[in-house]
Amino acid sequence: MAATPYTYIQCPCSDPSTLGRPADANSPTGTEPDEDDRTFDPRAPRSSYSLYPLEHLLYCEDCHQIRCPRCVAEEIVTYYCPNCLFEVPSSNLKSEGNRCTRSCFQCPICIGPLAVTSVETKPDPTLLAAPDNTAAPHSGPYALTCSYCHWSSTEAGIKFEKPNGIHAQLAKLRNGGTTRLTAKERKERRKDPSYRSTATEGGGPGDENLDLETQFANLKAFYQNQLADPNSGDAGLAALGDLGFSSPTSLSRIMSIYTGGSLQDKKAKSRVGAMREALESDEGLQLANLDESAAIEALQSDGHDCTASTTQLADQPPNLGEHHLHGRSRFTADLRPIPYLLRTKRSKRCPLCRHIISKPEAKVQTTRFRIRLVAGSYIPSIAIRPLSLSGGSGSSASGSALPGALLDPLKPAHYLLTFKNPIFETIKVTLGAPAKTPGRFASKVTVLCPDFEIGANTDVWDEALKDGGGGGGEPGRERRRQRRGEEGGGGSQGNINNNNHNQLEVGKIWERGRNWVSIVVEVVPASLRLDGGGDAPLAEDEDVLEIPMFVRVEWEGEPGGDEVGSVAGKDREAREKRELAYWCVLGLGRIRQ
Amino acid sequence: MSSRRPPRGEYIETDTGNKVARKATLVGTQNIMLGGKTVIQPDVMIRGDLIRTIQASSQAASGAAPNNTAVSIGRYCFLSRGCCLRPPGRLYKGAFTFMPLRMGDHVFVGPASVVQAASIGSHVHIGAKVAVGEFAIIKDYVRILDGTVVPPNMVIPSFSIVAGQPARLIGEVPEGGHDAFELRDLYKTVGNNPQPAP
Ligand SMILES: [Zn+2]
Ligand SMILES: [Zn+2]
Ligand SMILES: [Zn+2]
Ligand SMILES: [Zn+2]
Repeated sequence: MAATPYTYIQCPCSDPSTLGRPADANSPTGTEPDEDDRTFDPRAPRSSYSLYPLEHLLYCEDCHQIRCPRCVAEEIVTYYCPNCLFEVPSSNLKSEGNRCTRSCFQCPICIGPLAVTSVETKPDPTLLAAPDNTAAPHSGPYALTCSYCHWSSTEAGIKFEKPNGIHAQLAKLRNGGTTRLTAKERKERRKDPSYRSTATEGGGPGDENLDLETQFANLKAFYQNQLADPNSGDAGLAALGDLGFSSPTSLSRIMSIYTGGSLQDKKAKSRVGAMREALESDEGLQLANLDESAAIEALQSDGHDCTASTTQLADQPPNLGEHHLHGRSRFTADLRPIPYLLRTKRSKRCPLCRHIISKPEAKVQTTRFRIRLVAGSYIPSIAIRPLSLSGGSGSSASGSALPGALLDPLKPAHYLLTFKNPIFETIKVTLGAPAKTPGRFASKVTVLCPDFEIGANTDVWDEALKDGGGGGGEPGRERRRQRRGEEGGGGSQGNINNNNHNQLEVGKIWERGRNWVSIVVEVVPASLRLDGGGDAPLAEDEDVLEIPMFVRVEWEGEPGGDEVGSVAGKDREAREKRELAYWCVLGLGRIRQ
Repeated sequence: MSSRRPPRGEYIETDTGNKVARKATLVGTQNIMLGGKTVIQPDVMIRGDLIRTIQASSQAASGAAPNNTAVSIGRYCFLSRGCCLRPPGRLYKGAFTFMPLRMGDHVFVGPASVVQAASIGSHVHIGAKVAVGEFAIIKDYVRILDGTVVPPNMVIPSFSIVAGQPARLIGEVPEGGHDAFELRDLYKTVGNNPQPAP
């Protein structure tokens, strides 16, 4: 988990009560029917899938609800190459695939970018041009070289004649530099009688090394031919007769079942031919190469270092490979340059009302958004800061405890929670936190002021002109006072019991400003000592003191056309009561072990 | 003993609001352009002396005064202690030349990082101990995590979060994360009269 302190907010989409179906009896979050009785457990296995930092959340103005990356519906606005930043039309995507077809490649060894360099000069990646390139500006051949690990495509035997259109050139090149025929070329070669004779003379059938695409193309052509001409079956191979599944008659019989017999070909009955299987490379036959002595030899000579890692293999684009699956490249020498995967700009829709809540401008180079409803503009942010209270007189309370320091077990500690209101209305905040944190190690939690109001996010100038009005006591300054006791306290009701602590009073706000309020949370961290041998050891992040907190925000909004959004209210009053409630998790810090 | 005059500030504050530490090393200051409100912390080095030796052909033809800007920095940039900005260099038409390093607004460069990019957009966060290789192009709203090595010539598109050696895309900046790149508040926290962070 992230470094403490942190605040994560739970999106309501994971809340069983908002899912519109009966609560799952096996749900680890508990199934109390009354929502208010249920305490959210941040350590439940499901919780990590529903907690997000505020920045990752969006907000639907029509539903008045938080939306998270998990529940929004995404739509792709633009595809583009992250290297050349050219937009790729979606029509190209269907024909060319989801990778850049210009000259953008990544290193198969280290994933760094590859640059086209002239092979004749020393392949120095920082040199984009040869020193003598004034004399011969376009001297080939060229190679792709990595500026990070200095890998060169020449190591895989790949050189290019031209410095541009690398993608098309690479498609025709095998590792080692031999050409890889396109399907058309292969078809033409098949017709060539001189080739046919050499192919049949040397070696048995299926010996020719086909790459995946050619083999598939050959197989497809072979079976299509047979389907088109059912009488062409070789007499010698008709042994399967009409019984087998490879027979065109059985195929038409099956088809008639699904088409209701209306399309049944009457001629089919007269067909006697049978489909046969591929027998030659031309027909798509590829014998498995079970001789792995070469691989064993390479391993013996070069060791484990020459083998490709799973990451490297996973980064290899599919279908561009040299061999069939049984000969899959297992050595780094077999890896090929990786054309860049395209990236996308995406718009996001609310899952319930289908309104768009985020939409970037389509152009690749612009960072503007047409619509961008982020949760941070609607719900208060919560900042956490440790508060060290040196004993003695009240005025010595200062907020200068070291952030990230470990919490001592069983010793009370104080944290300042600062809520900042982003909206243009005064909001009323009500907090609810369990007295003890859930989990094996229950720390005690006291929110000293769980109920307060925060001023509206008005313009700083409005506040300055107002000249000292309002109950906050703080002039409209952005700057927070560094050292003070508490004052103000407007908007907080409740008993004013004097706690034993210096200046910490229950029900009193610690500090407030124009559109923010700081309150104090007292925690008594649990001891992480495990009793005896029966207990499981401390799990990862189990030492983090996490407080689940229910936040309820209430405000009165203009009914229609205001900043907070408008929904057709049931009763159209001048002001409309609004409410938003959600769970969040405050990660205060780690407890000393 | 208390001195009557206030002590000489750690920073030189210019008319345009730049705060340049006296202990920063700026070589070739006449070739370094600061947009204003930029903070340059102690032990920062900017190599303004590495100017381009070959002018672009269009400029040479028009006979205009040569543009000698080696490093240009926008507004509200923050160069942390010990970082280095160095224009990238390469062979161009047979001769070696440096090319300018351009940086937009609200660019944070972390401590002990070395930047040799050709261009850095606006709202970019470069962490601590990052190496940005020569002629890298970093677009707007990019976050580069601590310790990353950005290889030379790499292009990092907007809203990328990159990390690793070499850099690899590890995430996207969320829609709500744009404001976090703003450096106005950070600007106020340094200088001769620093204000506490809000
Ligand atoms: Zn959600
Ligand atoms: Zn590209
Ligand atoms: Zn590499
Ligand atoms: Zn909605």
